[in-house]
Amino acid sequence: MRIALVGNQNSGKTTLFNLLTGTNQKVGNWPGVTVERKVGIIRGTNFEIIDLPGIYSLSPYTLEENISRTFLFEEKVDLILNIIDSTSIERSLYLTTQLLELKIPVMIALNMMDIADKRGIKIDLKTLEDLLDTTILPISALKKTNVFNLIQYMKMQDFRKNEYKHIFDYKLEEAIVEIEKIVDTGHSKFLAIKLIENDPLFDAYHNEETIKIIENLSSSYNRDMEQVIADERYRYIENIRDAAIVAKKDQITWTDRLDSVFLNKYAAIPIFMMIMFGVYYLAAGPVGGWTVEFVDQYVGLAGQWLDSVLVSVGASPWSKSLVIDGMLAGAGAILNFLPQLIILFILISFLETTGYMSRIAFFLDRIFQKVGLSGKSLIPFIIGSGCSVPAILSARTINDETEKKMTILLTPFIPCSAKLPIITLFAGYFFNDYSGLASASLYFLAIFIILLSAFLMKKILFKGHTSSFILELPEYKMPSIRYVLHDVSLKAWAFIQRAGSIILLASIVIWVLISFSWRFTYGIDPSDSILASLGNVFAWVFYPMLGTWSWEATVSAIQGLVAKEQVVASMAIIAGYSDTTSEGLLIFGSGAFGFFTASSAYAFMVFNLFSAPCFGAIGAMRQELGTTKRMWKAVIFQTGLAWVLGVIVFNIGRLLEVLL
Amino acid sequence: MKNRKEKYGTGDQTVLSNLRKGQRAKVVFLNTIDKALRRRLLDMGITEGVQIKIKKIAPLGDPIDIELRGYELCLRIKDLAMIDVEVIS
Repeated sequence: MRIALVGNQNSGKTTLFNLLTGTNQKVGNWPGVTVERKVGIIRGTNFEIIDLPGIYSLSPYTLEENISRTFLFEEKVDLILNIIDSTSIERSLYLTTQLLELKIPVMIALNMMDIADKRGIKIDLKTLEDLLDTTILPISALKKTNVFNLIQYMKMQDFRKNEYKHIFDYKLEEAIVEIEKIVDTGHSKFLAIKLIENDPLFDAYHNEETIKIIENLSSSYNRDMEQVIADERYRYIENIRDAAIVAKKDQITWTDRLDSVFLNKYAAIPIFMMIMFGVYYLAAGPVGGWTVEFVDQYVGLAGQWLDSVLVSVGASPWSKSLVIDGMLAGAGAILNFLPQLIILFILISFLETTGYMSRIAFFLDRIFQKVGLSGKSLIPFIIGSGCSVPAILSARTINDETEKKMTILLTPFIPCSAKLPIITLFAGYFFNDYSGLASASLYFLAIFIILLSAFLMKKILFKGHTSSFILELPEYKMPSIRYVLHDVSLKAWAFIQRAGSIILLASIVIWVLISFSWRFTYGIDPSDSILASLGNVFAWVFYPMLGTWSWEATVSAIQGLVAKEQVVASMAIIAGYSDTTSEGLLIFGSGAFGFFTASSAYAFMVFNLFSAPCFGAIGAMRQELGTTKRMWKAVIFQTGLAWVLGVIVFNIGRLLEVLL
Repeated sequence: MKNRKEKYGTGDQTVLSNLRKGQRAKVVFLNTIDKALRRRLLDMGITEGVQIKIKKIAPLGDPIDIELRGYELCLRIKDLAMIDVEVIS
C-alpha cells in the first residue's frame, strides 16, 4: 500500500513521518521545512509512506508545492493521510475538501489537539467525522499519542470510505457532473473543478464542450469562477466549523505574550541583534575559538604519540610521513574545530525549532524588500551559517522567482561552518586581542555585501520588479531537547565523516603531490614538488591580494572547492613540510606561510569567504537554479567578486599599515 | 503612507492596509491584479465576508500580521492595499 502524507505547511507532517517510519528527517518550526518528497516504510508493516512538502491547496504557488500536487494527481496513491493542525482547522479543511475530490481514500490525523484544547478550542470529533464522512483520529505527533492506533487503522483498512458531499451550490454541482462525464479520466471530479477554475496548469484538458459549459456557468454567476469556488468552499467549511467547533474568542496566548516582546516596536531589532551576537560570540567568537585551542593541545599530543609508535614499529620514513604529515595533519587539523561546530549546530537547531525564525523573516522583510530580497531570504541565510547545501534548498519557500534566485546566489556568502576554521585560524593568529572583532567584521562584511549585491542587481537587472510576501506565523514552541541533541549529533557525525573521507582523501592526494616530483622521486624540496608546479600556474591570481608569489596559499585556496575545511587542512600539510622556525601556531611560523601579514591574511579570508563554495553547494545551486549556465554565472560572479574584494582589502590594509 | 493616521470607524469602506492595530474588518472584494497571488490569498482563506483582525505590525511598519480563521498571516502593505474591506470595529 502506498500512503501519501499531506497537510498544510508546519502542521507536523515530518514529525509524524519520523514517528511512523522510525527515521529522522529534518523538522523545524517554520512553514516549508520539507522541500522534497521523502519515502519511508511504516514500522511493522510493508506500507510505503511519502512525506510531501506542505500545501494549502491543490493549486500550487511555489515549486515545492507543485511537487505535492503532481504527485497526488499523477501517481498511484492508495490512501491519503491528511494531517490537520487542530489550531487552524478551517484553513486545513480547505485542503481536505480538495483532497476528497481526488476520490482517493482519505484518513485524517488531527494533530496538536492538546494545544487546541489549551487554547479553548473544543472540537466535536463525532460531528466532524459525520460531516466529512471521513475517519478522524486525534493524535499528537510531538507527544507520540495515538500514533500506534493510527497504524492499526491503516493496517485494518478500517476507515470510512468518503461519499462525496455536495459542497457547492446547485448550479455549480450540476456543471461539475456534466464536465466529469466529458473528461472522464482518473480524478475526474477534481479535474472538472480545476477546469471551471480555469487553472492554467490544466489548460490542455479543455475541449469545445467544456469551454461552452464553463462559459455559460460564469455568465450566470457574473463573477470570476475561481473566486466563486474558493468562497463556496470556505462557506461550506464555515458551516462545518459552526456545527463541530467551539472556540473561545480573543484568547491571549503565550505566543501573543512572547510576540509583544520579540516583535515589540522598539525592542525587536535590539533583541534580534543580541541573539545574533550571542550566537556569534558562542560559536564563531571567543568561546568557539577557545575550544579549538583546547582540543589542539590534545591533537598535538596524539601526533607525538603516533610518531613515537610509528618509529618504534620501524615504519619507513615515507609511510610515517604519510600518516603524520598527510593524514593527521590534514584531517586532524579539521577535527580541532568539531566542538566549535557543535556549539554552532546547537544554536541553529534552537533557532529553527522555536518559531523565532519566522519572526525574523517577518520584521526584517522591510529591509530585505528594499534591496530586492524577501524576509524569507533570512531563513537560508541563517541555515547557511551551518551549511550552504540545506540553506540553498530552503530557499524554495520564497514565492518569487527573482528573489529566490538572488537568495540562492547570495546564500554561500554567509560564512558556513566549514569556513569557520579558516576564520578562526587567521583571526586568532593575526588579530590576537582583536580576533573576536576581526571575525565579527567578516560576518558584517558578508551581510553588507549580500545587501549591496542584491540592491545592485535589483537596480540593474530586475528593474521595476515587484513581488509579494506571504508568511504564516507559527506558534512558539519549546524546542525538544532530544530532537536538538539528535539533530546536532547527526550534523557533527556528518562533519566527522567528511573529515574521515573527503578531507582524508584530499589530504593524502596533497601529501603525494607535495612529496614527489614529476619524476616520482621522494624526499625532494617542496618547491620542486608536483604541487608547487601546479600552484605556480595559478599563483598570479593571488599575487594582488597576498603581495607575494605563493604557490602554497594558491593550492590551498583552490582546494576550498572540495570542502572549505580543506583550505586549513592543506595549509597544515604544506606548513609541516617547510622548516618550522618558531613555536606557537605551526602554520604561520612556517616558511611557507610566514609571509602573511594582517592585511594579506584578512584579504585571503575574504577571498575564501566569498569565492565559489564547495562542490556540494555548487551542485545544490545547479539543482535549484535549474540550468548549468546559471550555475556557471553564479560561480563566476561569486569568485570574481571575491577576487575584487580580496584585492581591495589587501591594498587598503597595506595603505593603513604604512600610515599607522 | 500619508493616510495612515486617519482613523476609520465602524461601517466605513476602505482597504485593509488603512486599518490600525487591533481593528477588525470584513472582506468585501479582492482587487489583487496578480492572478497567482490572488489565488493564493483565496486559498489562505481571504474570501468575501471573512473577518480579519490587524494583529501585529512589524517594528519597521511593514509587513503586517493579520488574524483570520484562527491563524496568523503576514502580508506586505502593498498587497493589503488591494483588499477592500468594511470596518467592523
